[in-house]
Amino acid sequence: MRAVWVPLVVVSLLGLASWGAAGPATCPLGVPVMRLGVQGAASGAHADYGRQIEMGAQLAIEEINAAGGILGCRLEMRFMDEELRPATAVRNARFLVTEWGAHFLYGVDSSGSAMALGPVLRELDRVHFFTHAATHRLTEELVAQQGIRQIVRVSAPVYQDAVAAWLFRDMRNVRRWATIGADYEYGYAAWALFREQMRRFRPDVQFVGAAWAPFLTQDFSSHIAAVMATNPDGIFATPWAGEAVTLLRQALLQGVFDRVQVWFQAMGGSVDVLEGIAQEVREGRFRGKLYATARYIHNWPNTEQNRSFVSRFAKRWNRMPNYSAETTYSAVYITKAAVERARSLRTDRVVDALRGLRIETPAGVRVFRAEDQQFVYAVPAGKVVADPRYPIPVLGELKVFDPREYWRWPPFQPLDLSK
Amino acid sequence: MSPRARRWALGALLVLLVSLPVWASRYVVYLTIHILLLALNAAGFNLLFGYTGLLSFGQAGFYAVGAYTCARILLAWPSLLPGVLGGTVAATLSAVLLGYLSVRHTRIYFSMLTLAFGMMIFSLAWKWRAVTGGDDGLVGVPRAPLELWALTVPLPTVERYYVVVLVAVVAAVALLHRLVRSPLGLALQAVRDSEVRAEHVGLPVRRLRLLSFAVAGTCAGLAGSLLPALENTVTPPIAHWTASAEPVLAALLGGTQRFGGPLVGAFLLVVSKDVIVRFTVHWSLVLGAVVIALVLGFRGGVVSVVEPWLARPRPARRAVARAGEQAP
Amino acid sequence: MEVLAYQGLIGLSSAMYLWLISAGLTIIFGVLGVLNFAHGSLFMLGGYLAYTLYGLVGLPFSVSVLGSMAAVALLGAAMERGFLRPLYGLDPSYQLLLTFGFVLLLDDAVKLVWGGVFRIPPIPRWLDGAVVVFGRPFPLYNVFLIAVGLVVGLGLWGLFDRTWWGRSVRATAADREMAAALGIPTPRVFSSVFMLGSALAALGGALGTPVRPVAPGIGAAMIVQAFIITVIGGLGNLRGAFAGSLLVGVLSSYGTLWFPEFELFFVFAIMAVVLLVRPQGLFAS
Repeated sequence: MRAVWVPLVVVSLLGLASWGAAGPATCPLGVPVMRLGVQGAASGAHADYGRQIEMGAQLAIEEINAAGGILGCRLEMRFMDEELRPATAVRNARFLVTEWGAHFLYGVDSSGSAMALGPVLRELDRVHFFTHAATHRLTEELVAQQGIRQIVRVSAPVYQDAVAAWLFRDMRNVRRWATIGADYEYGYAAWALFREQMRRFRPDVQFVGAAWAPFLTQDFSSHIAAVMATNPDGIFATPWAGEAVTLLRQALLQGVFDRVQVWFQAMGGSVDVLEGIAQEVREGRFRGKLYATARYIHNWPNTEQNRSFVSRFAKRWNRMPNYSAETTYSAVYITKAAVERARSLRTDRVVDALRGLRIETPAGVRVFRAEDQQFVYAVPAGKVVADPRYPIPVLGELKVFDPREYWRWPPFQPLDLSK
Repeated sequence: MSPRARRWALGALLVLLVSLPVWASRYVVYLTIHILLLALNAAGFNLLFGYTGLLSFGQAGFYAVGAYTCARILLAWPSLLPGVLGGTVAATLSAVLLGYLSVRHTRIYFSMLTLAFGMMIFSLAWKWRAVTGGDDGLVGVPRAPLELWALTVPLPTVERYYVVVLVAVVAAVALLHRLVRSPLGLALQAVRDSEVRAEHVGLPVRRLRLLSFAVAGTCAGLAGSLLPALENTVTPPIAHWTASAEPVLAALLGGTQRFGGPLVGAFLLVVSKDVIVRFTVHWSLVLGAVVIALVLGFRGGVVSVVEPWLARPRPARRAVARAGEQAP
Repeated sequence: MEVLAYQGLIGLSSAMYLWLISAGLTIIFGVLGVLNFAHGSLFMLGGYLAYTLYGLVGLPFSVSVLGSMAAVALLGAAMERGFLRPLYGLDPSYQLLLTFGFVLLLDDAVKLVWGGVFRIPPIPRWLDGAVVVFGRPFPLYNVFLIAVGLVVGLGLWGLFDRTWWGRSVRATAADREMAAALGIPTPRVFSSVFMLGSALAALGGALGTPVRPVAPGIGAAMIVQAFIITVIGGLGNLRGAFAGSLLVGVLSSYGTLWFPEFELFFVFAIMAVVLLVRPQGLFAS
């Protein structure tokens, strides 16, 4: 009876094993084609981020190929859905590298996936450019402490969310702060960083309430009600993507924007959120009290490079680029710069070539910091307003702060994440 | 299938598995480790479902207990054997405790209880930051060397770790097979077929169910404790009830009425997901359709479809059969 | 004091979604003996269909809700007749597994049809606004939800208590063979009950469209809570499902206010305790 499945197993395993790519001619870097493996969340309330990551990578690859590739090598990409699950992200990464032959990896939305990938990247010995996952631990622990050099971060981490403290520092009428927070590490870290800084700027400030919403919350009404019961002047909100839109809609229904002075939506500058609240912004329902930041805003900086990027992206994909699109786009160009400098695909040479790299990207100038292998750059914060020049709301009344002020610098002390 | 042919077939399979790192790519070896872990998990589940008649949606809970316990041990004491043993023992203990509570009920209530317990373990994994790392999970778990008395075997590559997993899983499955073929196995099936009759014959129904539950939990726990050293990370989703569905689906796919069914099913589930995902992102849809088709038409799973074809009468047998027909 | 009352009202309105999905689940179990894993998917489909009719096609909100209910009811009928019926008489585990197969299928099918991105259409004008309750603005939409939930409750009670159909359903639930022997068309009763349950789930999903995201996975999030409520209320016990929904909804709301540390653990622990100690439910007569 067991012979039933023995031939099945044999045939299938042999089939699997014989999966391999036979490469004919090679390009100057010694491979037939350069392969870029890309991962992002492709479904659920956060699905747009994976899509944007894919679009950003694709655009960059098309442009670079049209201009002759990297040192004469053509680029090829493969996108896989990480499902916001660490186990899937790890399996995909292994597949992309060992089966498909990826030379570089990009993406992941989920911080959990990023942390899980760290040690695996060392084993696989491939550089992974992280273009969304925001956890400070990725770089503070895995790079600065454990020395996993295969990790390079291109997108601003959770440090960015604390920029709210700089933004509201001088608003004397905003004294009582509360949070509607994402009930996982990202939410705790953002709130902790914000509070730490706010206390330094404004000793008169009080933190009066906190409501924590687990991942995939659909109904924030009890969280909103609980926080509003404490009569806050300002609300610091960290749920992102679809949850941000839901939260803001439900907050409008409870008349929150008539009662608070300001509402800071950490990832409110993201394209999917702006699209989701576009009508309410046009109708002025937020009474000019909604502020946000992101990891990149499509309407800043007002450079030729950024304007051109946005218009090319919009023409190619019929949508505005999200921050995860810009970070991934820039990551591919950073790869180009590094490989051209190193004149090799070897991980150690490429990472060495990143040292001291200053590169102009749509988001502005990015500067590589070797101690934790992050690219430091500025992202503004501002008010969410409608602008006739753009199809979706933008951030207006922008304030740009020097990232050297609000980014954490080595040596890193562990962050106290108590709620 | 004659016992001799069976033994040859099994031998061939073992040779194939043992020699895998030599001729297969690294990714295939990695995938096969996952197949082995799921096979063990599913075989344990099927002891409970196919042989004892209890549908549990909580296997992931014990898998997680095994994984987290092993991970914590490895982080403090980087030696593989204590990690795996510790994880398995922890899972067995939890299974005995939760099983004691669960087997007081049957059918829907039992299934829902296992769902509830599994999710309680999930919420502990998600919330108890101090012990489980919370939603971040436990990171940086080392692929600790295997230390046996004076011998230390480092396991830097996936291929080397595969050998460890293979030995563990084959041994466990073999033991499970002995159990199933023993009078104990028959007793379990008696309990499944008719609780009333089993009681009347004098079988301790509840104790047998508990034993089955504990063994199933142990299998899941052993599988789970082999995970951290492979992936270097343990995160809460492995405890979610949707993860409990994997051994269920594997058993269903392969066939719950034969010992080898869940093993075949594990192979099919892992491989087909991996293959389908390369062509379409909608593997869940395909899987759902397959499950529906199986439940409706092929409740014996793949094995029930293939077996009759293989057992069809051969020419010599046909002649004998015909001769037999003619006899009065 | 006002804070407590307000928070309780918010919990009450959230409970209505739970009530709608649990009502259907418990009715189906009570009559057919089937624990429908796919109930959450029907909730999700209700949301998607209502979104399509209201947000994309532009039909009035109430028409969209009713339309999605009708469509999902038909789907439910097809599921019951085509797929569940062959399994009656077999081990109920197979019914459970079949409905689980539908979860996998439906949750992915919506991605195929509508894409993986979330959707939220604008809120209908006549429901946009707030009334002042306990000194704070209380969304009109939440009042609407509470009203619908109560109406559904009364309607179901009337249906099962006062109509011939309701009586045949109760008879079939009590004793299937006897009911058939008495001439009650049990197969048709089963189908109609499954249709009713599906319609209720769809109503829950449809009502959420202007204020909650419509996305793959919203059903899976609800089904576990629905299980918990049905267990607490007693499988098959409609009044218990109502009480259970209120309990879970209001307690969750207070949990957000008082215990920011409110653990998922305790909800499942309550479910386990009820199953162990009083499997017929807390509200069984």
